[in-house]
Amino acid sequence: MGKISRRVMMVAGAITPPFAPMNWTWRQLVAEVFWNSLQQIGAKAREIDMVAAAYNDRTIVDSSIGPQMADALGVLPKPVVMVSSACAGQGVAAYTAWNAIASGRCDLALVLGFARSDNYDAMEAMSSLGNYVDYDYMLGLTHLNYGQVRDAYYKRKYGVTIEDAARWAYQCHWYAQRNPLAATYGKPMPLLEELMADTEEAERDRQATNRGGVASCILLAGEDVADRYTDRPVQFDVAYAYRPPYIGNFFNYPVDGMREYDLGELPGLKIAAEEAYALAGITPQQINVAQIHDLTAYEGMMAVEALGICPIGQCKDYILQGGMTLQSACPVNTYGGGVAFGHGSAGSDFVAGVLENYWQLRGECGERQVTNAQIGVSTAYGSHHSLDVCGIVQRRW
Amino acid sequence: MSNEFPELFARWDTFSSAVWFRSKAGRYRLEGTQCTACGEKFFPPRTGLICPNCQQRAMQPYACAQTGSIAAAALDDIGFPATGYETYLPRCMVIIRLDDGIHIMSELSDVSDPAEVQPGARVRMVLRKHKREDTGAWVYGYRFVLDPAA
Repeated sequence: MGKISRRVMMVAGAITPPFAPMNWTWRQLVAEVFWNSLQQIGAKAREIDMVAAAYNDRTIVDSSIGPQMADALGVLPKPVVMVSSACAGQGVAAYTAWNAIASGRCDLALVLGFARSDNYDAMEAMSSLGNYVDYDYMLGLTHLNYGQVRDAYYKRKYGVTIEDAARWAYQCHWYAQRNPLAATYGKPMPLLEELMADTEEAERDRQATNRGGVASCILLAGEDVADRYTDRPVQFDVAYAYRPPYIGNFFNYPVDGMREYDLGELPGLKIAAEEAYALAGITPQQINVAQIHDLTAYEGMMAVEALGICPIGQCKDYILQGGMTLQSACPVNTYGGGVAFGHGSAGSDFVAGVLENYWQLRGECGERQVTNAQIGVSTAYGSHHSLDVCGIVQRRW
Repeated sequence: MSNEFPELFARWDTFSSAVWFRSKAGRYRLEGTQCTACGEKFFPPRTGLICPNCQQRAMQPYACAQTGSIAAAALDDIGFPATGYETYLPRCMVIIRLDDGIHIMSELSDVSDPAEVQPGARVRMVLRKHKREDTGAWVYGYRFVLDPAA
């Protein structure tokens, strides 16, 4: 790792409410959250030195989004780095902006993401994302199938049951009932017994909820200029790591840190977390709250294990002992998780967790507030964990 | 393409015959690659790519084992089938550990009772017709069937 010139602070952020109006374009979505963030710090758009943004919308032409984005946000002629890395895209964008701030090249950077998934036939388009297209997608093996076999393998390897997944999902729904930004907020809360049923309907309640069109963003600043924008800056660090894109290569892949794991673990997240912890100067035992990108309950458990919050294969016990609840030393998914806050792909899957931790550190989470939270961790993954991101926020006031 | 639609219309995932041509050895007969420097075997093939193990660039074609055992299985019954496979539900998705140690993801064919698809069950590769593309061409590729004698 190279020399880092200064620490990076998060000074603002915003996310659209679930199910943004259908008549909003993606430009309106991104302008909405950017404007909201600018209001928080009393700044003008052109004060931004650079933008790093992720997207997931196949109706726009990939190569031309940068200038469109710069124009829509009113930051033109400032640079906009566009990232396409599936649901972890915002994490990669955050990595890019973090580097620009930490190096001293930029003072204030915007990390942004949007998904206008209702612009196209989502399931057909999503079929190919993350799979090794020549040998999976073209032979009819989809994105969802990847998740199904991964979950089946994890359950068998570590003796995890539907009941364990139901407990995970139940806690996510419990938090989402206390988060007005969650996609399931205000909807009937499923009973634990209902979530434990071995039915297709219960399985869907144990999996991610769609958020519809969404955008979210955070503003990052150098530590020496952060007090221009807020009196409560939060240190932000981020790292990400790759795994092979083909799911068969999750077994025995000949790279250090990968070969000893298989489909039942997330070594990419473990590597990313270790780097993020090193940047932040913390250990997993110091984390007070964790937000996990979980499209199924099982992979949520795998992520908690990869972060080192509990040993590998033991998240089911962590849940059973109340590890996800507000009474725990490290509550999990107070935002509601992908299961109940909602899945927003490149539009929110990383930033939603970062924002929740930011608000937790500032004591702004109401009924779901974690007492005296100082350090929060969040994750996001793309392409079925061939890309894993880990973000850390720390209170600095 | 049907004469009903004389204008070209966009379908983002229209397949490229060039892609099909390039991947046929892998799809038809499970041809992967092996690094001649360190011996590591790979599927999908890494033709012309760098070996993640020894960092050399010396791949040669390798015929993967066509028998193996099931490492994980799941029934695709959640209701969002791949395009072109809507009439074949529910499909049985598997991760297979081939007898040479390579793992691949595939679909198990000719399953009469999904309950008999269990980790450890022996399987062998078969070449099967998959689906008809909008170019009119039939797509062929590997699948697996249960075979205790394999």
